[in-house]
Amino acid sequence: MTFNPLEQRGIPLDRQIRSWRELNVAPIDPDASDPYTRCRVITMNGIEVEAILFSHQLARNTVDPDVKRGLAEVRYVEAQQQKAVNWLLPGVSSVLETTIAYEQVAVDLTAWIARMEPDPYLRQAYEFGVLEDFDHLYRYANLYEMIEHRKAEAIVDGLTEVMPGRPTRMHHRHPFDNVRDPYDRAATDPLSKLHALTVMAAEQQTMNFYMNTGPTYMEPIARQLYQEIGLIEEEHVTHYESLVDPGETWWEQLVNHEYNECYLYHSFMEQESHPKVKALWELHLNMELEHLRIACDLMRRHDGREPEEILAPQLPNVLTFEPNKDHLRELLATQMDLTTLGAGYVREAHERFEQMQQRLHDGERPPSDRVIDQHREMFDRDYRLETEGPHPVASERA
Amino acid sequence: MPARKDTPVDEDAGQGDPAVTEDVVALLMRQHGRIHTLFEEVRAADGEERAAAFRRLVHLLAVHETAEEEVVHPAARSAFDGGGDVVAERLAEEKAAKEKLAALDDMDTSDPRFMPALLSLRDAVLVHARSEERYEFAQLRRTTPPDRLALMAKAVKAAEAAAPTRPHPGVEGAAANLALGPAAAVADRVRDAVRRAMGDG
Repeated sequence: MTFNPLEQRGIPLDRQIRSWRELNVAPIDPDASDPYTRCRVITMNGIEVEAILFSHQLARNTVDPDVKRGLAEVRYVEAQQQKAVNWLLPGVSSVLETTIAYEQVAVDLTAWIARMEPDPYLRQAYEFGVLEDFDHLYRYANLYEMIEHRKAEAIVDGLTEVMPGRPTRMHHRHPFDNVRDPYDRAATDPLSKLHALTVMAAEQQTMNFYMNTGPTYMEPIARQLYQEIGLIEEEHVTHYESLVDPGETWWEQLVNHEYNECYLYHSFMEQESHPKVKALWELHLNMELEHLRIACDLMRRHDGREPEEILAPQLPNVLTFEPNKDHLRELLATQMDLTTLGAGYVREAHERFEQMQQRLHDGERPPSDRVIDQHREMFDRDYRLETEGPHPVASERA
Repeated sequence: MPARKDTPVDEDAGQGDPAVTEDVVALLMRQHGRIHTLFEEVRAADGEERAAAFRRLVHLLAVHETAEEEVVHPAARSAFDGGGDVVAERLAEEKAAKEKLAALDDMDTSDPRFMPALLSLRDAVLVHARSEERYEFAQLRRTTPPDRLALMAKAVKAAEAAAPTRPHPGVEGAAANLALGPAAAVADRVRDAVRRAMGDG
């Protein structure tokens, strides 16, 4: 499918403001919707939140008042887009149910991107990270059964398996070891830029969500688990943002953001089963085409370069939410014991890692282990959803 | 027993900490989870299985709502400022849900109107449950001593025991479900059990 967003006309900016009636979207059904519809909603919310925050940072670094006003105008529309997207989530869902959906996004989005990523160093970064989100899903699923007496399969619907990944206690690395090497903006495949931006935005939204909703819980184990995993999400933001070449100019970054939004709305429009949600993806794609045109003009004006130099000639294959069970099982079998050292990966626990672990855990079991202990006390088992057979690592079998 | 504003707060007393003991809020939230799951079971099943799952749902709803009416709402009314209004709103939600349930109760589970009516009931019940958790239970936990919450939990458990929500293992099926009795009789048994348990405390 060829679709070049640079050649498409979008909705003129002065016709993009929506009324209260238009913003009052009907939420999706908490049980009957495709879980991947909810995953697409959560992903696009993260993308729009990043669009808003990035534009604010850019505005704070912009002197020209006309440019500031232009950024504010697009940003207001992006703020409305974020509302229209995130308000598709149903109010009857609990925070923990939404959390489990966030982790399903992190698992199946990152796993799919790892499969499609052409650059081996970047692919390794996604393969490394996905085993941690996979373990977070397992920990939250156990918390969910303890507090709400519901099984996470009611949320993930058998599309994503739930079982131990790289143990969460091992995710607490020295901050130095969370910084990766960036891709080279001049040499890398344009698809790699979109992948990095997408996963970074998703993890950033997860971090924001946990840091704000964690303390709304009353149960001590819930409060503590959100604190622990919230800290790891910050590590993940560091990990993924460091993949992006810092040599990109502000305007180049703006163009990449807008191009990525076109790519994702186009992808999700192509695969969406829910008619009303599909219509929203289409509407937002048509808005983003205009945002991209405006960003391209800014880049030409300020950098004196053509956006075509940094973008793909057409959109890559649609980014797809689909089960990644085989791929994840292969990673579980081969990469559970990996950690990072500097910008690379090692299998042995090195001195800096051990020191960090010692300082943080201080001889106690972290919340992520205690949630499983408490679950076992209550139910005489942990909660898992292993649809494709026993855990690929023998020592991790129930 | 509302928390007194003029008494110094002992932050180590464990008030509001459900880990200190099994409290009534933790118990009722788990019942909310089971109710939600039962709605899914009714939706996914058909034929005899759907009818049986629906009867289990009606039964659990009756036990749960009666226990709330007898144990939680009276306590919440006096536990915090505005408790009376919060409870009045919950009772209005409950009444609306009961009307939807009554419309379903006369309907055959294979009737084409059954599923839309069931989903409408589910929405009403989930909104009601979430509102309780957010506006009533959170305040109740904050203002009620842990031993009182534990006693209330005991009363809810007694209610469940008086009207078992699941048939005995090995006797599942229509006959066992019939033995659970009509919702009104369930409510009577639950009320008696709750009053005995609360009186003991």
